[in-house]
Amino acid sequence: MPRKKSDMEAKMEDVGIEIDGEVDSDSEGECRRARGNRRQTNGRAGGRRGKKAASEDEDDEDEEEPAPKNRRAANRKKAAKVQDSDEESEDDAPKKRRGANKKKAAKVQDSEDSEEESGGKASRRGANKKQKEAQNKEKKGDAKDKGKDKGKDNDKDKKKKKKKDNSNADSEEEEESLSEGEMARLMEEVEEKKKLISNMRNKPWRMNRRLQNLKEAQQFVDKFEGALGKGKGRKLFAYKVMMMKKWVKFQRDFENFKTACIPWERKIKEVESHFGSSVASYFIFLRWMYGMNLVLFGFTFGLVVIPEVLMGLPYGSIPRKTVPRAEQEHAMDYSVLMDFNGYCKYSVLFYGYYNNQRTIGFLKFRLPLSYLMVGVGTFGYSLMVVIRTMAKNADVGGGDGEDGEFTFAWKMFTSWDYLIGNAETADNKYASITTSFKESIVDEQENQKDENIHLIRFLRVLANVLIISTLGGSGYLIYFVVKRSQEFATMDNLSWYEKNEVEIVMSLLGLVCPPLFETIAELEDYHPRIALKWQLGRIFALFLGNLYTFLFALFDEVNTKLEEEESIKNASIWAMKEYYANFTANNNDTDATPPPISPADVIRGPCWETTVGIEFVKLTVSDIQVTYLTILIGDFLRALIVRFLNYCWCWDLEAGFPSYGEFDISGNVLGLVFNQGMIWMGAFYAPGLVGINVLRLFSSMYYQCWAVMSCNVPHARVFKASKSNNFYMGLLLLILFLSLLPVVYTIMTLPPSFDCGPFSGKQKMYDVIMEAIDKDLPAFMGTLFSYAANPGLIIPAVLLMVLAIYYLNSVSEAYKNSNMELMKKMKMQRDEEKNRRNNKDSTNQVMKDLEDLLPNRSLIPPPAPETSADNKSDAAGKSPKVSGKPGAAANGVNLQKDVSLATPNPRAAVTRPPGPRGPGPLPGNSLQVPGHGRGRGRGQPPRR
Amino acid sequence: MGSSNSTLSKIPNVDDLMQETGFTPAHIVRLYDRFQALDKDKKGHLSPQDFGSIKELALNPIGDRIIGAFFASGQETVDFHSFVRILAHFRPIDKNRPRDPNVPEPINSRTSKLRFAFQLYDQDKDGKISRAELLQVLRAMLEMQVTEEQLESIADRTIQEADLDGDSAISFDEFRKSLEKVNIDHKMSIRFLR
Repeated sequence: MPRKKSDMEAKMEDVGIEIDGEVDSDSEGECRRARGNRRQTNGRAGGRRGKKAASEDEDDEDEEEPAPKNRRAANRKKAAKVQDSDEESEDDAPKKRRGANKKKAAKVQDSEDSEEESGGKASRRGANKKQKEAQNKEKKGDAKDKGKDKGKDNDKDKKKKKKKDNSNADSEEEEESLSEGEMARLMEEVEEKKKLISNMRNKPWRMNRRLQNLKEAQQFVDKFEGALGKGKGRKLFAYKVMMMKKWVKFQRDFENFKTACIPWERKIKEVESHFGSSVASYFIFLRWMYGMNLVLFGFTFGLVVIPEVLMGLPYGSIPRKTVPRAEQEHAMDYSVLMDFNGYCKYSVLFYGYYNNQRTIGFLKFRLPLSYLMVGVGTFGYSLMVVIRTMAKNADVGGGDGEDGEFTFAWKMFTSWDYLIGNAETADNKYASITTSFKESIVDEQENQKDENIHLIRFLRVLANVLIISTLGGSGYLIYFVVKRSQEFATMDNLSWYEKNEVEIVMSLLGLVCPPLFETIAELEDYHPRIALKWQLGRIFALFLGNLYTFLFALFDEVNTKLEEEESIKNASIWAMKEYYANFTANNNDTDATPPPISPADVIRGPCWETTVGIEFVKLTVSDIQVTYLTILIGDFLRALIVRFLNYCWCWDLEAGFPSYGEFDISGNVLGLVFNQGMIWMGAFYAPGLVGINVLRLFSSMYYQCWAVMSCNVPHARVFKASKSNNFYMGLLLLILFLSLLPVVYTIMTLPPSFDCGPFSGKQKMYDVIMEAIDKDLPAFMGTLFSYAANPGLIIPAVLLMVLAIYYLNSVSEAYKNSNMELMKKMKMQRDEEKNRRNNKDSTNQVMKDLEDLLPNRSLIPPPAPETSADNKSDAAGKSPKVSGKPGAAANGVNLQKDVSLATPNPRAAVTRPPGPRGPGPLPGNSLQVPGHGRGRGRGQPPRR
Repeated sequence: MGSSNSTLSKIPNVDDLMQETGFTPAHIVRLYDRFQALDKDKKGHLSPQDFGSIKELALNPIGDRIIGAFFASGQETVDFHSFVRILAHFRPIDKNRPRDPNVPEPINSRTSKLRFAFQLYDQDKDGKISRAELLQVLRAMLEMQVTEEQLESIADRTIQEADLDGDSAISFDEFRKSLEKVNIDHKMSIRFLR
């Protein structure tokens, strides 16, 4: 035995890490792999090492996979080299590799055997403990993994030793399967370890130790759990492991694939690297918007427009689908079409074109019902999506609260990506590092600013007064223009300006006011992130005012149309009767039915729904035009001029007055939000509007990306956008609600036109639903609905909902509070830890003495002093500290208690002048002084 | 197997090298191939120009420093052994592999990784990263759009964050502390193929 032992050691020294590495990588590679997989299955077992470790493990696997042959070969070679111990060579031999699990099991069982001889399990546990203690002792300080490795080493040595005791039996037994009793014992062991893992939390141990034990236990369980099954069971296990690996790989590939499928991701990243996260947030919002509109587009076209085109009556069949005789002459003129009159007006794009037939086509498609459902469903879906996204964003918020320390140091030392090998990517990286630094600078400046609070307050009030008066002025202007346009409406031969006055004024206000606000906002001197929100809020108010003025004007128009309609309805009925009367009177032939009137000649009502639809489409289109032209002129042309006229100009255009434009986040976001509001309001009366919007968003993604990359410069004060763009979403939600109101109002209260649209002839639009309930559903459903519509049922339901909202609200409030509390606690803990790190030995020493309470400590020889490189480098600095230590260890128990009750941050240790320590080390690192171990060792025996 | 054996036999003292760096024979063979690929003139050692052909390094803002790290002070060339020794810094830290307690800290430990990185910044080798050294790196790393003033404030701020003993320079210990939460084992590891 001794000879062998020394052999072992000699060999270990010979081949050094090599052998360990290889021997272990063989067996442990296996179990590590298993562990990696298992960690995914039983989740929590990941413990503190967490996901990262898991993923690294997987990486390792990947590495290993490609060249197993090589490896095995290498192993064989090693085996040859190391021939003096048969165990080793057996371990290494590649043929055994497959059966590694089994072998392991055998090994352990062997060791158990040997232990049983010397006193059974209990003693073994004792030994284990001893070992652990030794390990703990060794790995005091920060060289944690080192300690662990070492511990393992010991472990291994021991195992080997034991193995040698009965190596004969070993080789025989290895080939056989385990006997029942051994199996049971092993099973028991595994169970025990499992229990340990689940109870780890409750054990009153130091974290380091817990971690250590946890790891050990997990390894044990992973190693033997699979091996427990015999024959078939093991195969199954291997199969399971393999499938798990495949599955993990597939998942990873799938993730990659999913990322590759995100549209415009590269474009947005490019923008982000040059302009910062705030500009990128706009584009991300744009992309989100595009996705949502695509779904709305799918609904509207799939359920309304396309069925109508395919199965509805063709153009020219009935009056509502025909251009009136008087307009036919100019119906195809470009100017008329651009106003969405003529053929445009009598097309599927607008409400009026749809017929009120209950079912169309051979499918008996209930178009009117579908129309209403899609109109309502658009809102329902949008609401759902917006709220869901908001909730999800709010979720992300808390995440990994950056602790705010070392931001610059981190950026400085770790921001470069060393795998960049592409010049363009490198450029992007440079840009993004620059922007991220700038973002941090701005944040930092904002933090450190201390200013005259009174002046700031005064300026802020002043700015708000100015802005409110501007808002009021613009509101009045719109009111004035709308009134004027109503006068114009009664007149003929208007000029182009007079016809489009409202739109022009609104666009102009939209162009002029936001920059004005921005200028005023300079007074306030907010952090740009907050300033952006204010700016957004103000422009929002402005646009909202415009929008609602516009809406009220529209309602006036609708009301007049409704009155007009009444008379026209009578007139058309009268005309019809007249026609038949004339026909019979002229022909005197009672049998002959009169030829129908040509649909173009029928007198028809004004169809207010189509009018509203046209207004919205016009507004949207003019908005698109204005936006695109603004970009073209305000950004592109300006950039061109600045760039090329700079050679022959009297001052520096690039640095001086016009310079290049900045990307206007607030304006663009609000433009997008309001545009969406228009779509929501208009979509019911003009199903084609959604299609137009999808086109717009699609083109504007490319157009704006191009514009921002080619002719804008990054903001002077780049700032980090808050991670969740919930503010944008909030605006969107508000707009959605506000645009929902008028539409629902019209659906519920105004009577539909008598001769156009899917609901013509009904009293109210929602009568379609009643009809469907009456005719298509069984009778009891009708009664059910009538009960449900009973106010007696609705009022309690509303009350219940209010209660639920109240309850949930207060619950979330409570959660928020506790969250804050926890956050504070975490921060405190971090600070504490930092302090402790700074003057480590005073606190840590005491903490460590806790470990010493465990028995058998002194039996293990103190660890080699030169365990870590830092220690060596620290050698200069530690001498003054050491002197006081052993005493502290002697009365360890009491002291420990005292200190743990008080906040463990005695700053006493810092009182020494830092001078003599020289450059490198801090007091904290001088822990692993040889004296400590021994001191503690000495202090112990009396206690036991 | 045979090929790797023959390659290995070409390298003198390969066992010592493997023991020192912890690379497996397969690694060594791989690295040797790479070394020869870089060594275009087959002179048996590499010069700084040879490293220049690696795009990743050419694009790196502190690429020349990394290249410089391969060359001992005053030397113009690097032979295979030093090459491997330097690269051993980037070997992933092996998990759960027991190591002989008597062997000193391996070359790929967290500390030596950090020290390697530290030396990239510490150009005058005085054991501290001074403000001037930080500024050099910053200039290389950032685009032209940042003013000198801002650069200086960044450097000041970095030092202020990391500096614990108030000598307005970052010593190795301070460097290590400030990067404590950064997963250096992950960042400074190259997965050498086998």
